[in-house]
Amino acid sequence: MSYQFDWSVIPENWELFWEGAQMTVYLTVMTMALALVGGLVLALLRLSPSRPVRDATTAFVELFRATPLLLQLYWFFYVLPATFGVGLSPELSALVGLTLNVSAFNSETFRAGIVSIRSGQVDAGLALGMTRAQVMRRVVLPQAVWRVLPPLASTWVSLFKDTSLVSTIAVADLSYNALLVRTRSYRVLEVLTALALMYLVLAYPQAKLTDWLYRTFRVEE
Amino acid sequence: MSLEGFQVLISNRDYLFHGLLVTLEVSVLGIALATLIGTVIGILRTYGGPVLAALLSVYVDVFRSIPLLVILVWLFFVPPLLAGVTLSPFPTAVVGLGLHSGAYMAEIVRGGLGSVRAGQTRAALALGMTRWQAIRRIVLPQALIRMLPPIGSLFAVTIKDSALAGVIAVEELLRQSQVLASQTFRPFEIFTVVMIAYFLVIYPVARGVDYIYRRLAALGSS
Repeated sequence: MSYQFDWSVIPENWELFWEGAQMTVYLTVMTMALALVGGLVLALLRLSPSRPVRDATTAFVELFRATPLLLQLYWFFYVLPATFGVGLSPELSALVGLTLNVSAFNSETFRAGIVSIRSGQVDAGLALGMTRAQVMRRVVLPQAVWRVLPPLASTWVSLFKDTSLVSTIAVADLSYNALLVRTRSYRVLEVLTALALMYLVLAYPQAKLTDWLYRTFRVEE
Repeated sequence: MSLEGFQVLISNRDYLFHGLLVTLEVSVLGIALATLIGTVIGILRTYGGPVLAALLSVYVDVFRSIPLLVILVWLFFVPPLLAGVTLSPFPTAVVGLGLHSGAYMAEIVRGGLGSVRAGQTRAALALGMTRWQAIRRIVLPQALIRMLPPIGSLFAVTIKDSALAGVIAVEELLRQSQVLASQTFRPFEIFTVVMIAYFLVIYPVARGVDYIYRRLAALGSS
């Protein structure tokens, strides 16, 4: 059996691929921007002196870390309108689902970064008359920032790939548009292979940058 | 949760339970394949010389850079066209999951092996062990313990990723629940219960491996 290749389907639909890629990048950037804030808030809540606040935050984080992202996206896309009468657009459902998911992961990264700063430094800050907030802002966080950079970059690369899941709730990202071209053109092999290569070209430099960050900011004490 | 929604769940429990079983099967087989691939490639990348290491790094980088969704769809639709080989959804999902997680496992194994100080290997060689004996009896046991935390995360990720198998029509838990939700118009009850079910599977796996690690951590430090 020999297959007749016809790659012209890719340039002919270049517009769709390009728009899809833009949506993929947009979702990644927006989600990470929101989830950096969300993750920091969750991390600080988990270090709160109030036990109920800590427990509730922990439950939230663990739930989002231990269930499939696709299910979370379905929940926001199908359950909110059917049960609570809140109909979010596919794009907004995707953004909300991705942001909550990545916030949960970021909060663990931040928490690990914060607790990795030896407690003696906090004690020293307090002994010098700083308030707890001052110690956090001026002693702990500036050091923690560098330690959390590599795991944040890992999360970024995962997020970039995970945005492909939004294609299942009709958000026109790179995967969605490619699958659309596949259905219209019947050039299944060419379109799917091109799609894989496009992700590879986009994500490979990000993965290599992440590896470099791990080597550069390795903690040595 | 309404009474009606509860009844929907009760009367369709076999349908959902079948999905849970398939999810567990895909996950366990995917994890097994990923462990096999990751161990072999991790060891070869560490001890196999520069040429092999460069070749295998291509595999690792490719499968770390392409979304699992795209890998699964590609594996399902392209081989039949290219080679006339048709795999049914279930084995396709296992292979896709294994290849994807295997790339991450290879990195974990390589990192673990590299973390054991070179002096230990030299000492083992000086004692007359062969290179393979030194790897198997000195380096691997310590590396394995250090690898446990990332392995636990990867196992959890792999079970979560098995939910994507529904995209190529594997009757796993998420697909079953989606079909049921669209038929019964009870997405809240169904997706919420399914979310709890996933949590009850995945959380103990992640925590269980952490627990084992804490018990054994001292053995892996040198």
